[in-house]
Amino acid sequence: MKTIEIIVSPQGEARIETRGYAGAACQEASRLLEAALGVRQSEQLTPAFFQQPVSVPTHLSAGGYTNPS
Amino acid sequence: MSHIVTIQTEVRCRESVTAACRRLQLPPPTEGTHRLFTSEATGLAVTLPAWRYPVVCELPTGTLRYDHYGGRWGDPRQLDRFLQGYAVERATLVARRSGHAVHEEPIADGSIRLVVQMEGAA
Repeated sequence: MKTIEIIVSPQGEARIETRGYAGAACQEASRLLEAALGVRQSEQLTPAFFQQPVSVPTHLSAGGYTNPS
Repeated sequence: MSHIVTIQTEVRCRESVTAACRRLQLPPPTEGTHRLFTSEATGLAVTLPAWRYPVVCELPTGTLRYDHYGGRWGDPRQLDRFLQGYAVERATLVARRSGHAVHEEPIADGSIRLVVQMEGAA
């Protein structure tokens, strides 16, 4: 599940966290909300940011697993 | 999570200002030129509880104009409360217009959490 969590402090400052994303797709997802709220103060990248998106191996198809050997 | 961004709220959206006033049970904002002690400001004015002068939102620049005289003419926490309400309304409006469901809940420290569902939304 991909979600964006926004925590707005009692002083009105917003903290945006993306969840469930791998790689830089999270930045694209939250860009609209960031721009709508105001000025970016800081950004922190987490380990998930540097993960590659999961892809299905080409020898796995909808018809089932094909032993490559 | 994959990245965390901190945003300083800027008040630029008329619709969200109106929604924040409604949320906080404040009078509707009024457009015009408003007196702030010896000066004047033009924009969308918000009347905060027990404040002598309004807070004037200059929407094109995101600037807030006000004079609470170091807190003697108005409690600064009321301004914080307005900014929080504005940010919540603004984020909710933008997310819903993009077709995403939004869940809102209060947190014990006074913050408000919004969770935007990026998949499976209408």
